Amino acid sequence: MFEILEQAWAFNLDRETVFGLVEQSFVFVVGMTAILASLGVILCASPIYSALYLIGNMCCLALLFLFYNAEFLAVVQVVVYAGAVMILFLFIIALLGAKKEERDFSFEKLMGMGFVALLFCELLMALRVGFTRPIEGQATEDAIAIVGSAKAIGIELFSHHLIPFELASFLLLVAAVGIISLAKFSYRPIRKRTRV
Amino acid sequence: MFAYSWLILLLPMAGFIGLSWWGNRLPRSGVGLVGCGSIGGAFLVTLVVLADMLLLSPDQRVGNVVTLYPWIASPHFQLDLAVLIDPLSVFMLLVVTGVGFLIHVYSIGYMRDDPEYSRFFAYMNLFIFSMSLLVMAADFFFLIVGWALVGLASYLLIGFWTEKTSAVLAARKAFVMNVIGDVGMVIAAFVVFQYFGTLNYVDVFAKASTTFSPNDDGALLITLLLLVGAFAKSAQVPLHTWLPDAMEGPTPVSALIHAATMVTAGVYLVARCNSLFMLAPYTMYLVAGVGVFTAIFAGSMALVQFDIKRVIAFSTMSQIGYMFLAVGVGVFSAGLFHLMTHAFFKALLFLGAGSVIHALGGEQDIRKMGGLRHAMPITFWTFLVAALALSGFPLTAGFFSKELIIMESYHAELGNFLFWGMAVLGAGLTGFYTFRLFFYVFMGSSRSPGAHPHESPMVMTGPLLILGSLSLLGGVLGPWTHEFLSPVFSGVIPLHHEDALLESITVGVALGGIATAVALFMTGKDRLDFAKQMLAPVYDVLFHKYYVDEIYDFFIVKPVKAVGAFMEERAEKDGIDFVVDQVGAQVREVSRGISIWQSGSVRLYAMNMVAGLVTILLFVIFL
Amino acid sequence: MDTNFVLFVSAAIFCIGAVGFLIRKNPLVMFMSVELMLNSVNLLLVGYSKALASLDGQIFALIIMTVAAAEVVVGLAIILTIFRTRHDLNVDHINVLKG
Repeated sequence: MFEILEQAWAFNLDRETVFGLVEQSFVFVVGMTAILASLGVILCASPIYSALYLIGNMCCLALLFLFYNAEFLAVVQVVVYAGAVMILFLFIIALLGAKKEERDFSFEKLMGMGFVALLFCELLMALRVGFTRPIEGQATEDAIAIVGSAKAIGIELFSHHLIPFELASFLLLVAAVGIISLAKFSYRPIRKRTRV
Repeated sequence: MFAYSWLILLLPMAGFIGLSWWGNRLPRSGVGLVGCGSIGGAFLVTLVVLADMLLLSPDQRVGNVVTLYPWIASPHFQLDLAVLIDPLSVFMLLVVTGVGFLIHVYSIGYMRDDPEYSRFFAYMNLFIFSMSLLVMAADFFFLIVGWALVGLASYLLIGFWTEKTSAVLAARKAFVMNVIGDVGMVIAAFVVFQYFGTLNYVDVFAKASTTFSPNDDGALLITLLLLVGAFAKSAQVPLHTWLPDAMEGPTPVSALIHAATMVTAGVYLVARCNSLFMLAPYTMYLVAGVGVFTAIFAGSMALVQFDIKRVIAFSTMSQIGYMFLAVGVGVFSAGLFHLMTHAFFKALLFLGAGSVIHALGGEQDIRKMGGLRHAMPITFWTFLVAALALSGFPLTAGFFSKELIIMESYHAELGNFLFWGMAVLGAGLTGFYTFRLFFYVFMGSSRSPGAHPHESPMVMTGPLLILGSLSLLGGVLGPWTHEFLSPVFSGVIPLHHEDALLESITVGVALGGIATAVALFMTGKDRLDFAKQMLAPVYDVLFHKYYVDEIYDFFIVKPVKAVGAFMEERAEKDGIDFVVDQVGAQVREVSRGISIWQSGSVRLYAMNMVAGLVTILLFVIFL
Repeated sequence: MDTNFVLFVSAAIFCIGAVGFLIRKNPLVMFMSVELMLNSVNLLLVGYSKALASLDGQIFALIIMTVAAAEVVVGLAIILTIFRTRHDLNVDHINVLKG
């Protein structure tokens, strides 16, 4: 990420560098916004605000998807995830009540945060590893741009990854049946006769 | 060539298994048929074996081992499922199955009113099987198996009426004393194996003379240990106290087990191991000494008992003492001949007593009997024959066998005057107490006014008659028996010594004993009371069986019980139970500690998951 | 474009989601932090799919989105069933499986 900065610092300012710089800074800003939004998710007292922050996070991620040439996925993220799933979340929050949660700072929370900090450090160790195999894929930026992102994904999905696709649809069916049986109201019979 | 001899074992075993499983479903007659039929079949097979054996020449008769299955075949130890068919085992089998068959037939009538009819015959068949196994075994291993099984059968049959506490206690006492003998036998088998490397009779006896010199330590050790077993099984002093109590069982049991067969197993043992015993003269002295001492000891106790079966029990003990005297001085076939005749007249005595008890409705006290002479004629006459045979009255079977023993106790190499003297004294005592019993039971007038004795049915009197004729005429079998058994005892036949002086003294003392009984009991009561008054302290000691039971109780039983109680308290409850309970308790404590971890809170579980993830990543990255 | 940045962001959002799951008591907020974690993984996959020039990452991310949607639906139904009749939304109070 910092090579562009180095290049810019060397005042090697040509068109490519400037575009690269702007793009890099934009990505950086969106990424930081995503992180801040996620912080907001966990730190808000009211669940409604947490949900809204989550929607913001998802939109930031969609923007990032666009930067990574995954246009189809970006649209799917906004439409399905931020659109349908989060709306469902908001409905449930509205149904169950959105009381504000009081803060307390217990030892458990400290321990949890400590563990997660360790986790973060360990995950960053992956930075030292780098790529484990050479780049040999065919789906470069230009190749996708010829067919268009959605079509490229479609060709890949329905040919090489057909079975996961079918299984995912099956999973959705099972989930639908499951929630109907879980959350339905029990059927009460209507009184046949009224009391005299 | 005696391959069919296995039937002798299989038929009673089949009878036992059949009667145990289906005995309750058969009718009474069926049970009796199966029970007696199996033993009768075994007897017939024994006769066939005898016939086959008589076809062989005498030196071919020894050492026929019929192997059913080679069981253990390792380089250091071979053991086969085999039986040994030689004159000694055939002789014992004749006695066991023959007299056993007669007693089974008798039991059909005697146990007719008993609700546990089939169980009785099942146990009796088990006993015949075990005794046959004991005498037919080809090695020490199966001898001990048969020995222990016979003890088991004795226990089951003595305690047959389980609701009678005294019977159960007597059964337990008999079993414990038998086990003491079993321990001796097993250790003897170990020592035999150590010296000879095998447990087969054929191999051991062939190598005996080359392995041991006379009075060698090994020979003494083996023979003494075998004697522990023999004395326990045959109820000699000091392991004799179980036999009087064993009379709590039904009378056919007493007749079969404690008169004719099981208690003679000790004599059989000494006869079978005669090669070993001849190499240990000290032990032979011990055998003869203990035998003749028991003869007098038991005879003296029989003088004053008033339970009809106990008198006969002490008489058994005494006669077996005579058998041990015979094998102890080296005339083995004389002892075995006496075994056979004793089986005849002692079984007859017991069966006759059973007939009397059955007729009087369970009465066993002779002071309440009397005058049965006219009511039960067959029993009367057969009982008289048996009593004469037991006392050694001339020309009965008992006379021939007993007189031979008494003569040999002086004339044999190992015999001496002391043995002879005590044997003669024992003969006198025998005559006295036998006829005392006879007069009390059958003569005079009835002392129990309410009884209506009647003669027993044919199924009971038939065996009485057969045994009676055998007791009268069995004497002719003597020479044939000695000749038949001689190959087993290295060709030794006891010679008939013409010693008129000793013989006449013997016969005179025996007749004197009978005459004393006549004098005291048949001619008025005042002499009896006079004798009782004069000898009152002696009477007390004799009546309480020399207080041996009390001595054993004080010195042995009570300490053992105290140790047992102590061990139960401390070792069992505080020791073993504590450890086992603690295993469970500690598991419970540990699981209680671990279950704190299971709080039911989702967040805690998630924290554990994260912690685990961190740890695993640590391992993945760094290691 | 290199992958260090996307790795950093993805790791950060993942850890923030984990912290949120461990800290909050409201079951809905906990569920939302789970969604955060799933989203971070999606981001990572897409970033690397571009870097490795292969469409497998995007396909995987699509499937993850499908599964996440199904999971959200079922999970919310469960939360609804549990917490509808009680009137406090506190995950610590359902500890019937304690012990």
